[in-house]
Amino acid sequence: MAPVLVLWLAVCLGATWAVDRGNFKTCDQSAFCKRQRALKPGESPYRALLETMELTNTRLTLQLINDNNKVRLLLELYRLQGNITRVKINELKPLKPRYEVPDVLIRDPPTEPLSVLSQDENGVVLSLGAESQRVIVSVRPFRLDIMEGHDVLMSLNSRGLLAFEHLRMRKDTQADPEAENKEEADAANQAETTKEEEEKAEEGMWEETFKSHSDSKPNGPSSISLDFSLPGVEHVYGIPEHADDLKLKTTDNGDPYRLYNLDVFQYELYNPMALYGAVPVMLAHNAQRTTGIFWLNAAETWVDISSNTAGKTVFGKMLDYVQGSSEIPQTDVRWISESGIIDVFIMLGPTAKHVFSQYASLTGTQSFPPLASLGYHQCRWNYNDQEDVRSVDAGFDEYDIPYDFIWLDIEHTDGKRYFTWDPHKFATPKEMLQGLVEKRRKMVAIVDPHIKVDSNYKIHNEIRSRGFYIKNKDGGDYEGWCWPGNAGYPDFTRADMRAWWASMFAYDQYEGSMENLYTWNDMNEPSVFNGPEVTMHKDAVHGAWEHRDVHNLYGLYVQMATADGLVQRSGGVERPFVLTRAFFAGSQRYGAVWTGDNAAEWDHLKISIPMCLSLGLVGISFCGADVGGFFKSPSPELLVRWYQTGAYQPFFRAHAHLDTPRREPWLFGPENTALIREAVRQRYTFLPYWYQQFYHAYRTGEPVMRPLWVEYPQDPATFAVDDEFLIGQNLLVHPVTEEGSRGVTAYLPGKEEVWFDIHTFQKHNGAQNLYIPVTMSSIPVFQRGGSIIPRKMRVRRSSSCMEHDPYTLFVALNARGLAEGELYIDDGHTFNYEKKEFIYRRLSFSNHVLSSVNLVPDSHFTTNSWIERIVIIGSSKPAKVTLKTADGNESQLEFDFDASMSVVTVRKPGMNAGADWTVTLQ
Amino acid sequence: MRFHILVIALFCCGSAESRKVRGISSSYKRFYREKKSFLCIDGSKLIPFEQVNDDYCDCADGSDEPGTSACPRGRFYCTNLGFRPHYIPSSRVNDGICDCCDASDEYNSHVRCQNTCWNLGQRERAFVEGQMRTLDEGLRLKQQLIEEGVLLWREKQAQLRELQQVAEDLQIKLEEHRRKKHEADRFKEQTLRALKGEDSAVKPENTLLNRNKDESIAPDEVKAEVVPVHGEERRLSDDEAGIKDAHGAPGTMSSEDPHLKAADRVAEWEATNLKKVEEAYETVNMEISDLQKKLDIDYGTDWEFLFLNGQCYKLTVYEYLYTLCPFSHITQKSTAGTEVSLGVWGMWAEPAKNRYNQMIYENGEPCWQGGSRSTTVTLTCGTETALRSVKEPSKCQYIMDFQTPVACQPVLKQRGVHSEL
Repeated sequence: MAPVLVLWLAVCLGATWAVDRGNFKTCDQSAFCKRQRALKPGESPYRALLETMELTNTRLTLQLINDNNKVRLLLELYRLQGNITRVKINELKPLKPRYEVPDVLIRDPPTEPLSVLSQDENGVVLSLGAESQRVIVSVRPFRLDIMEGHDVLMSLNSRGLLAFEHLRMRKDTQADPEAENKEEADAANQAETTKEEEEKAEEGMWEETFKSHSDSKPNGPSSISLDFSLPGVEHVYGIPEHADDLKLKTTDNGDPYRLYNLDVFQYELYNPMALYGAVPVMLAHNAQRTTGIFWLNAAETWVDISSNTAGKTVFGKMLDYVQGSSEIPQTDVRWISESGIIDVFIMLGPTAKHVFSQYASLTGTQSFPPLASLGYHQCRWNYNDQEDVRSVDAGFDEYDIPYDFIWLDIEHTDGKRYFTWDPHKFATPKEMLQGLVEKRRKMVAIVDPHIKVDSNYKIHNEIRSRGFYIKNKDGGDYEGWCWPGNAGYPDFTRADMRAWWASMFAYDQYEGSMENLYTWNDMNEPSVFNGPEVTMHKDAVHGAWEHRDVHNLYGLYVQMATADGLVQRSGGVERPFVLTRAFFAGSQRYGAVWTGDNAAEWDHLKISIPMCLSLGLVGISFCGADVGGFFKSPSPELLVRWYQTGAYQPFFRAHAHLDTPRREPWLFGPENTALIREAVRQRYTFLPYWYQQFYHAYRTGEPVMRPLWVEYPQDPATFAVDDEFLIGQNLLVHPVTEEGSRGVTAYLPGKEEVWFDIHTFQKHNGAQNLYIPVTMSSIPVFQRGGSIIPRKMRVRRSSSCMEHDPYTLFVALNARGLAEGELYIDDGHTFNYEKKEFIYRRLSFSNHVLSSVNLVPDSHFTTNSWIERIVIIGSSKPAKVTLKTADGNESQLEFDFDASMSVVTVRKPGMNAGADWTVTLQ
Repeated sequence: MRFHILVIALFCCGSAESRKVRGISSSYKRFYREKKSFLCIDGSKLIPFEQVNDDYCDCADGSDEPGTSACPRGRFYCTNLGFRPHYIPSSRVNDGICDCCDASDEYNSHVRCQNTCWNLGQRERAFVEGQMRTLDEGLRLKQQLIEEGVLLWREKQAQLRELQQVAEDLQIKLEEHRRKKHEADRFKEQTLRALKGEDSAVKPENTLLNRNKDESIAPDEVKAEVVPVHGEERRLSDDEAGIKDAHGAPGTMSSEDPHLKAADRVAEWEATNLKKVEEAYETVNMEISDLQKKLDIDYGTDWEFLFLNGQCYKLTVYEYLYTLCPFSHITQKSTAGTEVSLGVWGMWAEPAKNRYNQMIYENGEPCWQGGSRSTTVTLTCGTETALRSVKEPSKCQYIMDFQTPVACQPVLKQRGVHSEL
């Protein structure tokens, strides 16, 4: 035992700061990926059987046959509302049902009529509604082409990589008399079986081992694959989570991008390895169009990307262009999953915003978070005891830095038994929470899904007695190692289990909890320290299904059940806040995600931008990275830069590993404290804007933090930018992410645009690379000319303290002297906004008149907040400024004019933020 | 300066009686006498007086809004009658949290703040009185400890001198023994050479064995000396030895020669003696260096911390027993029984205002992710000497609160309750 421990220690201590790649599979080590990837593009063995075609009003079905083995597949094709085409392919007669992912789509997607335009023995042409869009179904080989006019938007199986491993009997069980009887009873089946026997049984089909772990694979091979060709596309995005650039790379010379939720210790950057979450959604973009592919499959998935222009240099591309001999650029994508069916949603845009709304119509939008959760979060593994919490809280007041949430990691529990408190260190949690209530602040405590196997632990006993644990392949409760030692894993795929879990958050169940205690779900990939690839065995059993089928969904279900619990404990009144590490398509509906266990390194700061941008593109807007870096200890410079970056990212939380020295914002000397204070204060002044952006994301599915190309889709210069980003449409942020930086070059997009430095109001023209000299206090942020941003300039201890504060409107004029914006106000924490209890106004400036107009006339909400100041940037000097209120009263307003920056500051107009009014500059 | 004059000028011309301006102290009232205009205290701007405390920030220094939350850099004065007055940032005015004990900061918010100044004042006064008593008692005890410290210091110095004397004596003894051993060795060598060589004319001159002062060595004498060395069975008669000498191999022969044996024995004897003296000398020197090391430590201006050296103080926190042995080491023992070093005496933490405020113990047990455990001990004034608290804010970095009368500082006494009472 001892030598083993020593060896283990030596390995751990001697390891460099990087992931141990050997712990995770390459495509070659994942049998199905290896088998699938061995298939090369060529003529598909599949043929469409037109005689089997059935067309109802909303659905086309058609059988496909594999001419090699005669196995038949059933193709279903739907036209969905909002310019989406759904293609489903399953076995016509699978040996047993194949898994179809439930609970991700928010409803059965509403369909639209399909009609046949023409048909002959080579294929069928179907109309996709009115926009001259068609689907061409080719018979031999089978392929689908989606056209608009003369342009092919996307082709499926054009490279012949449709591959469907049908379920089959295991050879050594064929002697089983029952099986024989079955075969005799079904002649057709027998014919197929005969064919099947000709197929070579490959290694890894019926059993697979990785390191010391064996996967029993009782169902044999079951993987699926399909290729998509995207003519005219050179840029594809999405399929998070990977620690990689925003623009996806081609994978010809390495592994495909992998989607398999894993707890990766000290992950490496710039590679396609799987991380904690998976959203199988890819966006394809060129200057004319944006489309999307949503591959609804929760099993281990690999995505190959290749491109005919990837290898070409800029010069080569130019030469092609000059010579006019250029072949059309094309990106080819191939999806491979281990089990389940092919169920793919093709979102046809045509713009990125259309794709966001199409995807939102399928999986829902970002949940509208409580306003406070957009403030600053102070976390550490761990705040040691109540006294520690009290003194950190007091530190924020002493150093006058606002914050809203303080977090407790696993050490707050009684021996890693979630829903409990350490009896010594957190003996009186309600007292502690009450102390935070008095400061109008909140707390988050961790609740992980692994449950300590301990007969004295109520949660464990209940789950065991109700049979809610996931089972191992032999039928017993699955057990694995995690923080508490031996642990069981509740089967969150069961609705009854989730309902029970949610009920555990009731105030009378979760002892010591109060209204201002919220929840953090970590380790929900699930993380199993002694499992294959630090996760669960694929042959573990969830009722009728294997873990293999549901793996990537587990984390979504954990967060879903937890968020439900927080909603239910308040009787459905209060919005929940739940942070998760693992996620899947649809996770946006339940709360926030963070990029997991990063490190205090400059590259990790940089990668936080593309990682959150990629998540935003696939619906998950509430994203952040651990400020400061989780592992290792940041230099003060890195820490300051990280605060400055995090202050302009959606989820703003500092976090640190147990083994690192303390790093509360005031521990690095007065100068750094002041820099961090300023960054956090900037965040709080923009909270009204952030909140409004989240309301917008909740309504539309558009990302809050978005890549430049989304707003400037025709400007190729924006397509690969991922060192800067937009918040909504109106703020452009280029954080400083280089050590010792003395300047950054920001690309200011838009030929017609002007951009104003938010600190100095200096004006810059769009469509240029702007060099910005920086000091330690610089956070390059620009407001778009043409926008109006409401801010609250009275920064207080927490966002709740600022609730009734007045607004300052920052009106940045564009070249034509126009600006537009919105103002959204509600109570900040309940679901009453669903009953239109909000103020939602359009602010617009034109012809020297700024006006506020109600956007939702039947909304009802009152606020004490008023307009204390209007800052009009890029304006000439008016002779006078007049306020006209709804009752017709006119009054003259005082103002200042700064001629150097052309800024008019209107003093104290004073009208209520919910009222109608106009302010005229004459 | 210029604006001060201007302010005064404005005051002269104004005649209106000053009305209560919220959020300022009496010493600032002169800036806020009601006039037509108000000059920002930094002189940057002149504004109509109606704009003072009108909930809009006009002055960059925040001076026009002492009673509202309008200015980002403003401050609000809590008068706190009955307690201590103090400033709070303007951002805490009407934020729904009671900051001033007189409730004056929440004059327009949904919270109802109680005036708690009187109670706080009482409590503070009681606390300060308690502290004063502690301080008085602490200082009295400290004086004692200083006196004891001085005595202890002297005692240690005396001890050091004594040890140094012993060391000197030992040094002399040591030299003598070295000489004796040297002689014995030489004698042994000569005997050996005499035995080996044909020419036995060179008679070994054994002064050491000739205790009876005659020229010959009595075999009995040698024999008697040999007995305890070789034991009964190994005892050989002189003849036997002689025979063996005559016929045996030269090596064996020489070792069995009675003269040689005697010489050998003597050399051994002297070596043992020398070793004993050397050991004693070393021990004494070590004691001296230990003591010197101890005395080299900075025990405060009056050696008041000296008494702590050699003491150990224990405290149990949750499942751990902590032991602080000042100027020596700190350990942590878990209920399971494993003991871990949290550091050995390093130094006084330098930068503190009070030089004798914090001790640093370092180079304890190595940590999981590199580095080693260390502890910072903060000394606070109290009437008894005890370990009060132990925390581990970051992994492997401990902080201790150690109370002792010698940490009491007379300067503390000058602080008291500043009250507008």
